[in-house]
Amino acid sequence: MELNNSKIKIKSKNLNVYYGNKQALHNINLEINNKEVTALIGPSGCGKSTFIRCINRMNDTIDICKVDGSIEIDGKEVNDKNVDVVTLREKIGMVFQKPNPFPKSIYDNIAYGPTIHGIGEKKDEMDKIVETSLKKAALWDEVKDRLNEPGTGLSGGQQQRLCIARALSVNPEVILMDEPCSSLDPIATAKIEELIDDLKKSYTIVIVTHSMAQAVRVSQKTGFFHLGKIIEVDTTEKIFKNPANKMTQDYITGRFG
Amino acid sequence: MTKEERLKKRHNAEKRFRFYGLLSVSLAVIFVLVLIQNIVSKGSSAFSRTTIAADISFNADLLEIEGPITKQSLEEAEFYDLAVESILKIYPSKDSKEERQVLRLFSPDYEYEIKRYLIKNPDKINQVASVELTSSDDVDQLNKGNFPRDLPEDRRRVSNFQLNIYDNLVEEGKIGKKFNDYFFSKGDSRDPELAGIGGSLMGSFFTIIICLILSFPIAIMASIYLEEFAPKNRITDFIEININNLAAVPSIVYGLLGLGILLSVMDFPRSTPLVAGITLSLMTLPRIIIPCRASLKAVPPSIREAALSVGASKFQTVFHHVVPLAMPGTLSGTIIGLAQALGETAPLILIGMVAFVVDIPGTPVDPSASLPVQVYLWSEQAERGFVEKTSATIMMLLGFLIVMNFIAVYLRQKFEKKWN
Repeated sequence: MELNNSKIKIKSKNLNVYYGNKQALHNINLEINNKEVTALIGPSGCGKSTFIRCINRMNDTIDICKVDGSIEIDGKEVNDKNVDVVTLREKIGMVFQKPNPFPKSIYDNIAYGPTIHGIGEKKDEMDKIVETSLKKAALWDEVKDRLNEPGTGLSGGQQQRLCIARALSVNPEVILMDEPCSSLDPIATAKIEELIDDLKKSYTIVIVTHSMAQAVRVSQKTGFFHLGKIIEVDTTEKIFKNPANKMTQDYITGRFG
Repeated sequence: MTKEERLKKRHNAEKRFRFYGLLSVSLAVIFVLVLIQNIVSKGSSAFSRTTIAADISFNADLLEIEGPITKQSLEEAEFYDLAVESILKIYPSKDSKEERQVLRLFSPDYEYEIKRYLIKNPDKINQVASVELTSSDDVDQLNKGNFPRDLPEDRRRVSNFQLNIYDNLVEEGKIGKKFNDYFFSKGDSRDPELAGIGGSLMGSFFTIIICLILSFPIAIMASIYLEEFAPKNRITDFIEININNLAAVPSIVYGLLGLGILLSVMDFPRSTPLVAGITLSLMTLPRIIIPCRASLKAVPPSIREAALSVGASKFQTVFHHVVPLAMPGTLSGTIIGLAQALGETAPLILIGMVAFVVDIPGTPVDPSASLPVQVYLWSEQAERGFVEKTSATIMMLLGFLIVMNFIAVYLRQKFEKKWN
């Protein structure tokens, strides 16, 4: 039991989310394993993104959004009033659907996070952080000679890797990815997937994706969402080879959604 | 309707629309050109002034200076007798009536111009020197060709006798034209040739600075708070609606507010840039808040999410990312708001800035005019000299507005960062 518990990084219990009068998530119970990739699949508007935004409390920024129920990270309640969102988000990086680098230099994009958390105050320390973050995001070789050029000048795939590097710069434990490849071409997508595979050695990753193939390629565990409810969660292999639920079966074979 | 007919109709509609568009654009351009041509043709002559070279004999006895001649003693000396004696020599006159006419060829300031000349060239004492004196407005206009000479004498401001002297002076090459530095350096005057926008320029400058100091920080803080931090509820909706309403309130109402509260209740000094600046900043505040909020709103939410997701606090997100990105729009909104304030006349009239002020204000609490009010004041004067000065002041005012708008556009283009 003890061993089993430590394997679980994030655990949601009876999580309900409302946007105004509309309920977006119904009683979500989900466990996300440590240092593994968990893919969340399901048709658009089913609540996958809402769910991962609950993990780092990004939904706080939406006025009409109300969250109830519990999400625990390492056994600690996220929705607790005493939790400081800044510290929480330092621990949980996020990568968005559309690459959103700051309109600053590549260097400053990476350096921003550490700076506000007071890490790497010396120039050479910061240089090191920037270099390691970019290396982890497999972008270093492409940009090492132009760190002072604007991050927005990179190609879409490079920008997304820059955003991943930015998320890594503050040494998070969890990385949330909200359809990170939806605006990228297949080559850039392949690179990101390769990267995810690499990153799962040191980070817990939750990825929302519309691509079944991507879920199969990168994840160990898959959750299928539909209309704000979680229909089925299991190992990726089981979900795609032998799903227990008829709806899951229909969705992954492309019969709806 | 057949397909061909429909197609033809569609093409015709397009052509008609193009024609109307072109027509309205050309009409607008023609109006602007006529306006500018009118102002420039009337006003450009105000930038030069006519001078008459007169041989002045600096007879020390006439200055009645006791003791050695120093700068100090010259400053205190009375130059009137000396000036009149020398000036009358430019043309022989029979009687005192004619003498008066000779003197009236010069601006009433000749006495001081001669004094300034001697103070600048003290070695000319007891010598004769040719000094270029400013001519009266009548001679100035005559020289600029604005007075018809063929009118009967009683309908002219310049008598035949004066005309005769003028022609003589022209022949002798004593009439000159100089850049009109008085127009920029002097305050208002009853004599057009001595009137300048120096005072109203400083008045406008102080007014705008006070307006900027008061309205910019308040507007920025208010818009950042309302846009980024304030909860969206009925109270903030109500505030937002009222800000929009305030921006549409006629400016004269703010003038009444300034009169009623600043002057009557709080007893601030009347006719001063301080009161004008406060009044105009009330007017400008909503006009700056609206573009500021628009430019904050234009910063894509993805930037906010990016900052929040690396663990920036709300405050850090706003001040490290959103505000710098919104800055170009904010600044250009502010400049355009200030440009509007610079051209505002009605509220200033109510708070007493229409006063006739000769002295150039040195501080914001000195009585002063402002550029648009100066235009208003001079446009009521009958003298031809004030007509050209009115237009010249409008040119200056338009120049400032164009420069400010240009800076606004430049800031927006130069510093606006592109994001995808």
